[in-house]
Amino acid sequence: MATTTTPTTKGFVGKRVRRTEDPRLITGTATYVDDVTRPGMLYAAVLRSPYASARISSISIEKAASLPGVSAVYTGEDVKAVGPVPCAGSMPTLRVPHHKILAQDRVYYVGHPVAAVVAIDRYVAQDAVDQIEVEYEPTECVADPEKALESDAVRVHPEYDDNVAFTFHAEGGDTDAAFAAADVVVSERVTVPRLAPSPMETRGVVAEYDEGTEELLVYSSTQIPHLLKTQLAVQLSLPENHVRVIAPEVGGGFGSKCNVWAEEALTCFAAMDLKQPIKWIENRRESINVVAHGRGHVDHLEMAASKDGTITALRFKILQDIGGHHQLLTPIIPTLAVIMIPGLYKIKNFTADLTGVFTNLPPTDLYRGAGRPEATYVLERVVDKLADKLEMDPAELRLKNFPAADEFPFETATGLSYDSGDYAKAFNIALENVGYDSFLKKQEKARSKGRLLGLGISTYGEVCAFGPSPALPAGGWESATVRVEATGKVTVMSGASPHGQGGETAYSQLAADALGVPMEDVVVIHGDTGKVHWGVGTFGSRGTAIGGTAVHLALEDIVAKGKKYAAHILNASLDSIQFNQGIFSSNEVEEKLTFQELALEAAVAQKLPPDTEPGLSATRFFEPPNFAFPFGAHICTVEVDGDTGQVEILRYIAVDDIGNVINPMLVDGQLHGGVAQGLGPAFLEEVVFSEDGQLLTGTFMDYAIPKAKDMPWIESERTVTPSPVNPLGAKGVGEAGTIGSLPAFVNAVVDALSHMGVEHIDIPMTPQKVWNLINERSQS
Amino acid sequence: MKIKGQQTLTTPREQVWEALLDPGVLARALPGCQALDPVGENHYKIRMKLALAAVQGLFEGKILLQDVQPPNNYKLHIEGAGKVGFVNGEGHFHLEKLSDVETVVHYEGDVRIGGMIASVGQRLMDMTSKMMIRKFFVSLKEILSEQ
Repeated sequence: MATTTTPTTKGFVGKRVRRTEDPRLITGTATYVDDVTRPGMLYAAVLRSPYASARISSISIEKAASLPGVSAVYTGEDVKAVGPVPCAGSMPTLRVPHHKILAQDRVYYVGHPVAAVVAIDRYVAQDAVDQIEVEYEPTECVADPEKALESDAVRVHPEYDDNVAFTFHAEGGDTDAAFAAADVVVSERVTVPRLAPSPMETRGVVAEYDEGTEELLVYSSTQIPHLLKTQLAVQLSLPENHVRVIAPEVGGGFGSKCNVWAEEALTCFAAMDLKQPIKWIENRRESINVVAHGRGHVDHLEMAASKDGTITALRFKILQDIGGHHQLLTPIIPTLAVIMIPGLYKIKNFTADLTGVFTNLPPTDLYRGAGRPEATYVLERVVDKLADKLEMDPAELRLKNFPAADEFPFETATGLSYDSGDYAKAFNIALENVGYDSFLKKQEKARSKGRLLGLGISTYGEVCAFGPSPALPAGGWESATVRVEATGKVTVMSGASPHGQGGETAYSQLAADALGVPMEDVVVIHGDTGKVHWGVGTFGSRGTAIGGTAVHLALEDIVAKGKKYAAHILNASLDSIQFNQGIFSSNEVEEKLTFQELALEAAVAQKLPPDTEPGLSATRFFEPPNFAFPFGAHICTVEVDGDTGQVEILRYIAVDDIGNVINPMLVDGQLHGGVAQGLGPAFLEEVVFSEDGQLLTGTFMDYAIPKAKDMPWIESERTVTPSPVNPLGAKGVGEAGTIGSLPAFVNAVVDALSHMGVEHIDIPMTPQKVWNLINERSQS
Repeated sequence: MKIKGQQTLTTPREQVWEALLDPGVLARALPGCQALDPVGENHYKIRMKLALAAVQGLFEGKILLQDVQPPNNYKLHIEGAGKVGFVNGEGHFHLEKLSDVETVVHYEGDVRIGGMIASVGQRLMDMTSKMMIRKFFVSLKEILSEQ
């Protein structure tokens, strides 16, 4: 596979084109769910459990229902007929406890929805929520995944014998033999705390039921409007062609809106019941509390190697905190950690054992990176430990274990086929950019003066651009329609549902280049099941590689169709027709046709060839033959303040390879955001619960997400190894930064303290934690 | 959260004991207490306004006194719930006679909060509870000095 550091550019593709979405976003003219109003609209609010585990002995709604302005109060009994919140997991051992949209007789976690009020405005609704009287009988709870596995642990779901939600085993090669033959074995246990996805826009739903057409119109802040449409139809027993879902402007999701939420069906149920439009907007406290947390892992990795540094085998154990019940993809997410545990290394033998465990905590599910940051984190920690044990340079150790550039497609022990790459190249650029050798000298010098400098390396590989379909519960394809209007304007409809990534810009670039039209002539429509006929959604870094490819294919069809029409109209042979910069021409005739003229001819249909149909429109689906595998190397240098434990990032080097790039500016934005969401948990973010399951980090005062001042300057560079699995050669970039950054930071801090005998520090590395460690070590 | 401490009062032990078990006195001394009504022997209904960080609300609940051993010891069990969450706790009070006119009140307990007040106010709980205990004893001393 050819590797080049400069993408080929033509027209708009490959250029730093400004985002077409931004004018409306930065002038306050964009329409988010909360901007949607409908005549006669009412507002919903949800009552949530204050207990982590309790039986509901009684609910009294009389006071709430009698408040002026209250239209309805619903409890679990009222919504019994609504179908359960879906879980797409299908492993044979999977236990799926019942998950009604409101609690029935028990609550499983603090924040569990217990009742809902619909009222004339948000304030009355909230006041009424406060008037609902629930008598709980608190029961013993378990709020720690490791404790939940103990034999005498209280059971989250008494109907099961224990708290195991599922187990999953995978293996490749002969791990036991490799460990028996190993010269060295190293291991580490890491915890990856729960993270609150915290999109800027919280969840929100507006639902309206038209009694005449019997159509349910749903606005939801979702990443997956098409899948949501299907699920709502099932949950509410509606014919699917009577449900329309619109994802208007979506203010970030990071995976948290790639879900089907109880509140979505609840709002729809109420709208159908009351025959009035209803809006529900989640508040920030609810968002931090119940929007499925990411991560929640306790991971253990054992690594076998030979003396020369060849890594021969891995034994991987994952404990995934599920929470009280599953959300859409809860059990699937940690399996991504399993398949990516070898990272970029040629490790032939592995076993992985994954246990999902129920706790009396809110559910976990996907969050940017989803399983892959956890795997990369523990792997890169253990690689550093191995280097330490072998007294080998950690950079050299990594280089030694990469597959060579000519070994692609590279088959992993976990059954994947890495599409393309040149891992050593990207890694060497990162080493050069950071000035690896000179930093090591500087570090030594600084240490002699008592300063604590550290350098952390992380290489990462990512499985993304989901499909292919057999690997996904709901299809891995994407659809696109390109419709050329009679006036030559171009409408692109995508089944992907971008929500901040800049997909409209990228698709416009593709269309403008393919059709030779100005970008302003292109309108991209997405996130509306009434306008876009089929779609899967935007998640798993698939918007460009899969969604973009579908657009690309439809554009190719348009050009082919246009050429056919042009040949007939120009009276030239089809083979002679050229289409360049928006002009159809032929060396057989002098006359030319502009794209716009052709569009009009296609619409009026007076001069079309007999074997064609009018209209310049094409719909294509793209089903990838494989995942795509971006990769890269992130290197971070830090200085730790021995007196305060504060870590300062000195330099942050990122070299990423995400395949071909449509818009480097969009890619930079994705990488920067990704790095921020990887560094956040490294030293700030952690959802904390008390032993009795109470959320202790319920506001941004206590749940610390990184701010601009916490972020380093990111020195970013890219290598480009086009992916062979889609014609755009794109791999995906949404999650790359999040996966690469956490281990780089952690390895850097551990490196800074390594001469004190520090081998590992659990995240988040708060100054307090780091200081305590330094203090302990300097006293002992 | 664990609470432990002591307060010395310049009042004879029997008088302190009576005051601590007098709903009228408690209602006045407990910060934010709006009502404390007996519903049975050693069993009271309580309505209290509590503020923690930015969250405040009315709590309704019950207080149970157990193992009452005049004038030495008693255990107090409290359960309260309101719009913003719940408060549960147990406390053990021990009255030590220092002299005929001096009494030390030893207290030790465990308080649990839940719901919104926990998620928003947990970090201020320690400070708030210390402040409430201080206020309680200031009021108690005032009441005792009036007697």
